[in-house]
Amino acid sequence: MKSINIADQPWLSMRRTISITVDGIRYRLFRASVTVAVIVVAVAFLMNILAESLIKRSVASNTRERIDTSRVIYNWSAKLSSPGSQESIIIEVANCSPDSDLYRETQRFAAMNDDDMAAFQTHAQKIVFVFDFFNSLDYAKRRAMIHTASGLEILNRLRTPENMEQFKLALSRIRSVHFDMSFDELDAVLAKGPEIRKQVKTIITARRNAIAVINKTLKGKTILEKLATANGPFGDTIRQAGFIFDADQTAPLVADQAQRLLDILALEESMEERPTRQLIAQQANILPADVNVMMMWKYLDGKRFATRYLEKMQEGGLKTEGLTPDRLVDLAQGRKENAALLRAERLTLDAGKGVLGLGERLGWLLFVSMLVCGIGITNAMMMAVTERFNEIATLKCLGALDGFIMIMFVLESCFMGIVGGVIGSILGGVIGLGRMLAAFGVNFLGAIPIGDILVGMLMSVLLGTILAAVAAVLPSFKAARLAPMKAMRVE
Amino acid sequence: MAETTPQSDAAQKNADRRIIIRTVGLKKSYLMKGVLTEALRGMDIEIFQGEFISVMGPSGSGKSTFFNMIGALDSPSVGRVFIDEVDVAQLTAEELAYLRCHKIGYIFQSYNLIKYMTALENVTTPMAFGGVMPDEARSRGMGLLDLVGLKDRWHHRPIEMSGGQQQRVAIARSLSNNPSVLLCDEPTANLDLHTGQEILEILQRLNKEKGVTIICATHDHRMMNICDRLMWIRDGKIDRIADRGDVHIEVGGIDGH
Repeated sequence: MKSINIADQPWLSMRRTISITVDGIRYRLFRASVTVAVIVVAVAFLMNILAESLIKRSVASNTRERIDTSRVIYNWSAKLSSPGSQESIIIEVANCSPDSDLYRETQRFAAMNDDDMAAFQTHAQKIVFVFDFFNSLDYAKRRAMIHTASGLEILNRLRTPENMEQFKLALSRIRSVHFDMSFDELDAVLAKGPEIRKQVKTIITARRNAIAVINKTLKGKTILEKLATANGPFGDTIRQAGFIFDADQTAPLVADQAQRLLDILALEESMEERPTRQLIAQQANILPADVNVMMMWKYLDGKRFATRYLEKMQEGGLKTEGLTPDRLVDLAQGRKENAALLRAERLTLDAGKGVLGLGERLGWLLFVSMLVCGIGITNAMMMAVTERFNEIATLKCLGALDGFIMIMFVLESCFMGIVGGVIGSILGGVIGLGRMLAAFGVNFLGAIPIGDILVGMLMSVLLGTILAAVAAVLPSFKAARLAPMKAMRVE
Repeated sequence: MAETTPQSDAAQKNADRRIIIRTVGLKKSYLMKGVLTEALRGMDIEIFQGEFISVMGPSGSGKSTFFNMIGALDSPSVGRVFIDEVDVAQLTAEELAYLRCHKIGYIFQSYNLIKYMTALENVTTPMAFGGVMPDEARSRGMGLLDLVGLKDRWHHRPIEMSGGQQQRVAIARSLSNNPSVLLCDEPTANLDLHTGQEILEILQRLNKEKGVTIICATHDHRMMNICDRLMWIRDGKIDRIADRGDVHIEVGGIDGH
């Protein structure tokens, strides 16, 4: 005798659920692959933008570093020939770290103790904050607030009460602008103004005296020619004048770069001579009158041409001391690298800030593309549910719980999300990497943040999966709520 | 187990037979676009354990609705369905799933096998839902396939089988959790005469040997040769119930009067 006693239906094991789901996907492979393609495109787009942003950001900081290093010579030749303006000194001090050479050097010129110097820097930073605020405004807003004042004039202008009122009024009217400094603090900065000005003037005077000491030792030579010997007695002269000029690190770098600049100048002048010009013309198969300096640098890249060029220079009676064919090739390549650096700097100007290096516009674009993808997946899953009415109803007749049906569809979507996410992130990463390498060249290979990109890929896969799972919730719910009596219906 | 003897003294026998399905004042109406359509207008029937009952009626008579009600697939508007004295309306979703899984076997006109599963997987799916261990499910599934004569085709998918074979797999599937009631919705309608006959023989054998209660909606007159009782539904009401002995069956026509 079979008696009926009703109990709760147990849950199906996860393994069986997964196997049923996978079998279902395999049976409908074509439809599933179309859905996967949608996810692939969306995730590839995401990953591509992510990879490019990450690479751009990394290359940007790398470029800035390399450019800063390559410009040490310009800084020193400028510093040793002019004391600088009041604004430039304030900005310099505000931006340097307390253990940098520049900080200690300024402290020495200003003859301040540690505390005074720290206070000086803090004030300089506040002044720079005010400068930056006004520099970030467009012309109309700036004019409404401080008329045409710029630099230290701004502080002078704000010190008169009516002008201050005008500034406050304009600030309260223009809602889109936020001045992140309290007015009390601003007043303090303004009150400190004369003192700062005096300190800056002391620094300028001290620098001018130091420069005068150095100028005495030039004896008709240019500062660049002297800096090329910075490893020797001229370095000592600089140090004696009061500058902090590190003999082990800064001096060799400056000397090397100065020599390089001198050599470049010498080479570019040599091109004006007849024998060398003819050699380039011969190589390029053009008239000597059409030869320009770019061609010289282009051909000097090869060692054979460099050797012949050096011979011609000697033939033309030019000074060639210290120049070898290898040196010429090296100079040409240095110029090329410099050009690449400049190009990289230009290309990475739009490198975004924030965690992922995405700008606001890109973030919005990504959001919309993800939304479109989500709707696409929802639509595909809706179709899959409609198509499988009979199957779902049958499963429910056989004792499937609503939860099982729901999990079945969410799982199906998740699997497609994982597959699509993996393919998409690899595709997007490779495309992004390729595009960035094509833009910046192979000498930025070291600047590629592999770790960050891998994390980005992982995130993309995860996001694709979550997106697919969320998109499948509504169709799965619909499937789970389907009445089992639909199975009785004949198709 | 209740025996299925010839229907000589049916009324007296019925008194001590166990009732497996009982409906009380069963009514069902649908509201469609503002029009109230009454599919069932009050049905009272008692179905006994081990019985083979055929349900007949023209399309639109409410036959399918009645099937959904007694199969615990739909709930009535008015009235009650008792399956072994358990009121179906009182059950939770989990208990309903348990009921459908363990107590009722469904056989559909269009077989409704899961397309991407092999015959054996189809048969073992309800066991998996019921919590049977895979190894046991496998051996039991093979036994059931053997019962319907498809043991050597266990690895075939529905698309690789004929209609009759698919229906036999469906029968094996419906038996997988030893149900008390087998609900068949025109099981032979999509099959030719010969294979239909095979299906009917299997059903008859199940009824006789295993004592499974079979409720069968059909237009197939051969069904009348093997069933215990016949029930006619017309316009949402029970038109007539008759024992097999009271019905004259002639080839080419049916006359119950």
